[in-house]
Amino acid sequence: MVKVFIYPATSLILSDMVSRFGHTPLSSAIAVRERIQTAGLESPPLQITPEEPKKGLRWAAVEVPAGVRGRMSLYGPQIEACEAAIIINDADLSFGCMGCARTNELIKFLLRQKDIPKLDLYYPKNEEEGVQFVAAIKRFLDALGGKK
Amino acid sequence: MTEYTPVLAGTVTKYVVVESFDITPADLGIRAYEISKDAMVKETCFGLVINGKQEEVDRIIAELRKIDPDHIFVKDRGFPPGDPRRCRANLGGARPGYHGMENEMTVIPYVSHGLEAIKTRDLSTIPLPQNPLEHKELDFSRLKKLIDAQES
Amino acid sequence: MTPPVRIAQLSCGAEYSGIQHEIDDAAREVGGEIFFPDIALKDIRRDFDLFGLDVRSPDLKLAIARAKALVEGRVEADAVFIATCFRCAEAAIVRNELRRYITEQSKLPVVSYSFTERTTSGTLLTRMEALTTIARRRALLARETQQGITLGLDSGSATTKAVVMKDNRIIGTGWQPTTEVLKSANDVIAHALAEAGITRDDVQAVGTTGYGRFLVGKEIKADLIQEELTVNSKGAVYLADRQHGPATVIDIGGMDNKAISVMDGIPGTFTMGGICAGASGRFLEMTSKRLGVDITELGPLAMKGMGAKVPMNSYCIVFGTQSLVNALAAGSTREDVAAAACHSVAEQVFEQQLQEVDIKEPVIMVGGTSLIEGLVFAMGELLQTKVVVPHHSQYIGAVGSALLASGFIKDD
Repeated sequence: MVKVFIYPATSLILSDMVSRFGHTPLSSAIAVRERIQTAGLESPPLQITPEEPKKGLRWAAVEVPAGVRGRMSLYGPQIEACEAAIIINDADLSFGCMGCARTNELIKFLLRQKDIPKLDLYYPKNEEEGVQFVAAIKRFLDALGGKK
Repeated sequence: MTEYTPVLAGTVTKYVVVESFDITPADLGIRAYEISKDAMVKETCFGLVINGKQEEVDRIIAELRKIDPDHIFVKDRGFPPGDPRRCRANLGGARPGYHGMENEMTVIPYVSHGLEAIKTRDLSTIPLPQNPLEHKELDFSRLKKLIDAQES
Repeated sequence: MTPPVRIAQLSCGAEYSGIQHEIDDAAREVGGEIFFPDIALKDIRRDFDLFGLDVRSPDLKLAIARAKALVEGRVEADAVFIATCFRCAEAAIVRNELRRYITEQSKLPVVSYSFTERTTSGTLLTRMEALTTIARRRALLARETQQGITLGLDSGSATTKAVVMKDNRIIGTGWQPTTEVLKSANDVIAHALAEAGITRDDVQAVGTTGYGRFLVGKEIKADLIQEELTVNSKGAVYLADRQHGPATVIDIGGMDNKAISVMDGIPGTFTMGGICAGASGRFLEMTSKRLGVDITELGPLAMKGMGAKVPMNSYCIVFGTQSLVNALAAGSTREDVAAAACHSVAEQVFEQQLQEVDIKEPVIMVGGTSLIEGLVFAMGELLQTKVVVPHHSQYIGAVGSALLASGFIKDD
């Protein structure tokens, strides 16, 4: 099983495809789960405390807004851990964890810097594109190997 | 600041979303209750939210997928079902992630179609989708055709 | 129990900066309740396109669509809180445009704020209190005349002020630097009562405002304990006799500055804060000490000087003072240095705060610093308008409190 970072990290479709075809998706939910299952100081709703934007300094300088750094504290470790990535390039309506365009630009940049297999796509807009979309993802994931 | 003690630590939560003409979230719910040993199953408008130990949740989902594999989709969720921090009733409005899912639901039928199609078509013959990183330049002959069409 | 004031939150980044619960706590503390306007994806697509501000961040698109739902009455709210990350240019544009849009198109009170991970509920409290007050106490704020005998106390960070009013007139005042909060309060009250020639028992209602309002309010059993944004707005338009129509109130205080856009005496949008003490009354106090003059002499001194002759290129109180010292050493006149100090403070308030409120005439300056005529002059030059300084402007919070407190006089 290969750890695949999905973009948007909140994507139901990508999360499903990656696990359906035998790999491990790295997504927002996994990062948020880690936060809310870790004891510490109370900071609802996401259990992101003011410490997280400080942890985010590893990926973004102090002059970068706190929201970007806080988000990077979720995604930074996943970007470092991932062994492959699937990126949907027209995910303009992904809110919340993917709600900040500046963070999203940084995530994509860091993924592109990384020497790992990557698949860039658009969302399908009709049935035939749906076939090409699924086929491309399956071929990409099959080629990653390490499948159980 | 108040100390925070996590609840349901060590468990996983997953959404099971159904987009199908043949089965409803309720059908899925009934099946999940039948096969669940100690997982928490909650029905929602789009499918189910299941919480429990990783192996148990995976086992239930593997069974559920069999009902309609091309129309059932699964993703992780950070919060356990009904968590007040994400509950619509407490927030006044949907959590932001809901709208993202709403957005993907408009695309899901094409993905379902794709999943069905790759079973009958040779994967290697299916053309690649458009690569967003390749900016297609307008072919010269096509440009000429466009100009000619405009002039005639 | 009164139902909570429903405050709609339009934001980007608060949860991820770790400060969402600080916003929730601040609202709860002043009887408010934060909620997120519920809209559907199709509303987001449509309203974002209709609004026409083509931002990239999805959460800002969501904020825009939610704002439209509020203005069009599809979602009900009592007030709006707009919050985005400090240092995000995209969000700053959205924050400003949404605030303007909501203020112009609806009667909803709005507060906007740019936060960092260091923002606490304490920082947000006064803003939230003003927001819930405007939403809940429109009737109280409609008061235009003072009745009976009332006492107003302003427990500020630098000075404590008291005013006794009777039948719409100020009959006693008290003023002193804040040392021990309660002692200072008692002293100025005693002074104001003595000047008015009455006793505490004659007072029919009491109001407090300022940083120490809760502590003092509890001690002296105040009928009204109210933050200074609404109180000062009321006090300013009352004293300046501009109770109807628009006005802009500027209060450069000891610890922070307020710029309030007022309509019919009720605050609409406002900003509060100041990045550095270099933009506060404290800086002028330090300047006058350096120049060896009393703070009351700084204004007239500044009026004789030319600020532009002295290089002031620091916003910091420490380095700013250093610049002034260097200028004196290099042969600048005390008049020019005084004028430069006044200009520096006015310019910082202008650049950092007045950009965020819509300046409508008359511009009314209040608070102790409004007595420094060099500062008022500098502000007028920057705003290209004649700034109004009403009588008793240094007692603004106390006057506003006394005025509003008369709404609490019990009919016997």
